[in-house]
Amino acid sequence: MSRLQAEHLYKVFGRRPGEAVTRLKDGTTRDELRADGTTAAVVDASFDVDPGQIFVVMGLSGSGKSTLLRMLNGLLEPTAGRVLFDGQDLTALSARELRAVRSKKISMVFQHFALFPHRSVLENAAYGLEVQGVPREEREKRATEALEMTGLAGWEKSWPDELSGGMQQRVGLARALATDADLLLMDESFSALDPLIRRDMQDQLLELQKRLKKTIVFITHDLNEAMRLGDRIAVMRDGEIVQNGTAEDILINPADDYVASFTKDVDRTRVLTAASMMTDPHRPDAGSGCSCETVTPDTSFNDLCGVAARVPHPVAVKDTKGKLVGVVHQSRLVGFLGEYAEGPIACDAAPTKKAVASA
Amino acid sequence: MPRIPFGDWVNSTVDWLLDHMSWLFDILKTIFQGAYDGVYDVLSAPESLLMAGIFALIAWWLRSLLGGVLAFAGFSFIISLELWDHAMMTLSLVLVATVIALVISVPVGIWAARSNTVSSIVRPVLDLMQTLPAMVYLIPALLFFRMGAPAGIVATLVFALAPGVRMTELGIRQVDKELVEAAEAFGTSPRNTLLRVQLPLALPTIMAGVNQVIMLGLSMAALTGMVGAEGLGADVNQAIGQLDVGLGAEGGIAIVILAVFLDRITSGLGQQVSPLGRRALAKLRAARGVKLWNYQLQPVAALAGVLALALVAGGMGVFGGTSSPATASDAKNVGQGKKINIGYIPWDEGVASTFLWKEVLEQRGYDVTTSQLDAGPLYTSLAQGDVDFETDSWLPTTHAEYWKKYGKDLEDLGSWFGPTSLELSVPSYMKGIDSLDDLKGKSGTFDGKITGIEPSAGMMSILKDKVLKEYGLDKEYKVVDGSTPAMLAELKAAYAKKEPIVTTLWSPHWAYSDFDLKKLKDPKGAWGKGDGVHTLSRKGFSKENPTVGKWLKNFKMTEKQLTGLEAEINKAGKGKQQEAVQSWLKKNPDVVDKIAPLPKKSSGSGESKRPLNAAYFAWDENIAVVNLWKRVLADRGYKMNLTPSDVGPVYTGLAQGDLDINFDAWLPTTQKTYWEKNKANLKDLGSWYSPTSLEVAVPSYVKDVKTLADLKGKGSTFGGKIIGIEPGTGVMAALKDKVLPGYGLDKEYKIVSGSTPAMLTELKAAYAKKEPIAVLLWSPHWAYNEYKLTKLADPKVAFGAGDKIRTITSKNFPSQYPQLTQWIKNFKMSESELASLENEINKQGKGHEGDAVGTWLKGHPGYEDKMAPQ
Repeated sequence: MSRLQAEHLYKVFGRRPGEAVTRLKDGTTRDELRADGTTAAVVDASFDVDPGQIFVVMGLSGSGKSTLLRMLNGLLEPTAGRVLFDGQDLTALSARELRAVRSKKISMVFQHFALFPHRSVLENAAYGLEVQGVPREEREKRATEALEMTGLAGWEKSWPDELSGGMQQRVGLARALATDADLLLMDESFSALDPLIRRDMQDQLLELQKRLKKTIVFITHDLNEAMRLGDRIAVMRDGEIVQNGTAEDILINPADDYVASFTKDVDRTRVLTAASMMTDPHRPDAGSGCSCETVTPDTSFNDLCGVAARVPHPVAVKDTKGKLVGVVHQSRLVGFLGEYAEGPIACDAAPTKKAVASA
Repeated sequence: MPRIPFGDWVNSTVDWLLDHMSWLFDILKTIFQGAYDGVYDVLSAPESLLMAGIFALIAWWLRSLLGGVLAFAGFSFIISLELWDHAMMTLSLVLVATVIALVISVPVGIWAARSNTVSSIVRPVLDLMQTLPAMVYLIPALLFFRMGAPAGIVATLVFALAPGVRMTELGIRQVDKELVEAAEAFGTSPRNTLLRVQLPLALPTIMAGVNQVIMLGLSMAALTGMVGAEGLGADVNQAIGQLDVGLGAEGGIAIVILAVFLDRITSGLGQQVSPLGRRALAKLRAARGVKLWNYQLQPVAALAGVLALALVAGGMGVFGGTSSPATASDAKNVGQGKKINIGYIPWDEGVASTFLWKEVLEQRGYDVTTSQLDAGPLYTSLAQGDVDFETDSWLPTTHAEYWKKYGKDLEDLGSWFGPTSLELSVPSYMKGIDSLDDLKGKSGTFDGKITGIEPSAGMMSILKDKVLKEYGLDKEYKVVDGSTPAMLAELKAAYAKKEPIVTTLWSPHWAYSDFDLKKLKDPKGAWGKGDGVHTLSRKGFSKENPTVGKWLKNFKMTEKQLTGLEAEINKAGKGKQQEAVQSWLKKNPDVVDKIAPLPKKSSGSGESKRPLNAAYFAWDENIAVVNLWKRVLADRGYKMNLTPSDVGPVYTGLAQGDLDINFDAWLPTTQKTYWEKNKANLKDLGSWYSPTSLEVAVPSYVKDVKTLADLKGKGSTFGGKIIGIEPGTGVMAALKDKVLPGYGLDKEYKIVSGSTPAMLTELKAAYAKKEPIAVLLWSPHWAYNEYKLTKLADPKVAFGAGDKIRTITSKNFPSQYPQLTQWIKNFKMSESELASLENEINKQGKGHEGDAVGTWLKGHPGYEDKMAPQ
């Protein structure tokens, strides 16, 4: 069962939002609405997030991803649709019940850290617990643990303005982790950081996630980050989710040109694995009986290339039990580097435009 | 455009509020007064230097050692100015107003920060409160809160609320939205978001608002004196009323010291109370290092210090009262060095006249000592010959007992002041209260208050020091200081609502004709009504000292002189009476020679013994003629007291016999109504100048303009302007409503209203450059003597027929002053004579009228004898 479900979420800002939703459902476009002064920030967004999954929502600024995120913990009330958290409909809760859920089960990490400047690092990390009413001693213990987890042991007495950006966001992360919430909402949390530090933070998040197995919804406008972090990625455009899938899905089968244009700059070699390269193993030219090197579906593109160079025929992909699940042709590897996913064309066929362009 | 009766609406709203909401204002008043009294009691309890020490410790704690030292220096300065009590009153008022302002403004600011609707409603209200001229709401505040601290607090509040609200709203709105969102995301309730995130982060801004509230409150302090709130404001107000720049500056600088102290303290407090401020401070100190002068006292040490000082303060006044070394007599004199001992009772007029005589006699070469005594011992000493004379016997009433007992051993050298008629008055609807005795036990009815006037007025001290005590009302009633206009506003408010009120008043006063009032009978003669203030000497003094005896017999003071001298003495403070007299004499250089003339003439018939009370209007021709007569009559042995007054009171005063004479009755037209009303009790001694006229005048170098009709079509020559005088005067109305339309000039000319001096300045400037100018003038006027002007003929008589200036007197005047009556009936002045006299007086300036008359008389030999043939 999924931990978090969004069902046909709409968020419209402006006058008579309910009416606007009806019109949207009837096919009115967002631009037509905007002419009337109403803004549809999120249009019919639905998705499921499984426990322990990192679900990345990717989109350019103004695509509605932050609005979508704020509907997940009720900071914004959806104009239409439901948010189910562990089966509980958040949109049906009273303000007080909603606050209780937010304080215990959902925490949030912000783009600009949002640390309280009048509180020390420890007090910041303990904030969520303080709201819950946890006694001082216990909350300081748990906050200290959370700070240790994010690598900030020894900084408890410092003040936020004494820390670097990366360290501040670690405090933000510690604050979110200290409450033991199951669901972590991260709003462009690493976007304000330098690229190197951003990478560190991403690694640390993945590291922590291995241990903690939180359910995370992560907002970003950076596809590389999305690919690195996301178990699943939802791409948003103009308030709508245009594609929802794994990193490979999005790279290999972009839903439209918009998504495809995003994927252009992505370093495919870091994202693609043997699983997304392999083709049907029962083709006649599939090597089978030989004792050549084989790969697993998880093998990265870079490793795969090395293997393919050594093996005289297509590389066999075998699962952990040694069962052949597919093969990867060398020509296909080269094709992917050139963003060309189809197979070779016979010599006597007329060259396609695309082939010429690619050449 | 129809006239919108906005003013009427306001009036009826105020009336409605007075009728229906007075309970609310009464509650507020009680709260304000209680809070004010409480704070003042605390602030004024310790000895002033101790309190200054406590303030210094606070400054040390919140700022630095240097701050503490400066604070102590500043407050010591206030103490040395003898303004400490008043400074604490002002401080109390500002503190109470600030606390109330915060109680109101912080919640409103929070509300406005959370709701745009509230914000958009509150903002224009704040604009209104900040920009509405204070006078506009001060007087209504009086109607609701009556005179005293509450009205002052309200006035301060109205002015000072705005920054509190604005800064709170701004502070909260400025808090980073992401921080508020973060708080909400962790499930913080709105209330806790406010308390834990928004307010702490907005605190520096809010404290800046508090600071502004206090600063604006202090800047309002000067105005609160006008509504009877005691303190530095009253001092400044009083000083300005007396045109005493120095005293005003003292009060002003004390306010500034308070302001700077409070400003630094609140900003220091702002840093201490807000965690952010504390952090910034710690960082700064870490960066700069602690130096001696920016060393801050630790809170614990500061608290301990304050406690210790407060304990000492509570224990007993260690420093004691400031002792005043009694000024001993100067020995060794150039003159005869004859010893004279003057005794005095420490009442204002006694002190003033005694030290005046001390100074005068010392200037004349006597060796004078003074002894301060109570009334009884004074008479005893006088009878025994230990004291030579005293100047403060209230006879025949107040001191009748003493006179009966010691009279045979004393000599009465006559009255030098009076008769006075001061009284307490109540509206006539106050049944059963006819005399001061009736006030007893009725303090509940009057709320325990007697509405007074300027604390500087002599009658206030008589009331407080004598009348209330005499009638045993001093415990029951409190005299509220304020101002004459405020007292009258209070009277009017109470009168309109038929509420009980008792006010200090004096006769003559226009209030008696406007309101139906009862003068409270004064059977004990506590006011000295009918009394003169007499000089008594030991028997044989005037025989042994004939010169001094004669001087004392002829000694007279006007109320103006006396109150002026008293004010001077009060200002100088105890122990400096003689210095005060000296500085007063510097301002009144002719007094010494007048009261102690070097042996010369002294003539006059019997009627000259009675001083003449002449009232005059502050119009040029009246100032001229009354000073001329004063001078001439003085030479003939008469004494003339001059009182500036207004038309209504003059006629009333004359009719009641309180005034003797007025030289400036414009009849039969201008003052017709007054004359008709009072003529049964007045006498007309005939006209000394005629005819008067109102006119438009142009310089004679403006050719071709001889009549008003000639102005037509010449608008461009005169810039389309006729320079007028004060708006609202009858002349201006006549010009606007009759003259200009009458000659068809109303489209072409605009009347510039301003003031008489402004008009004359304009005329002078234009005349010097030979520019065309048309001014509103009247005859007689000295301008005709100074410049060559053409009075524009008025063939249509649009300005009305000219009046004659007549002399009118009280009914009994001719029988009291037969000689004078004859002189005045024969008195005539020509236009050029009057104009040149006015001219001379204007040239020599205010305060030198007597000298101007002297100069003028020198240029008109024989004039004096023509006026008063001997």
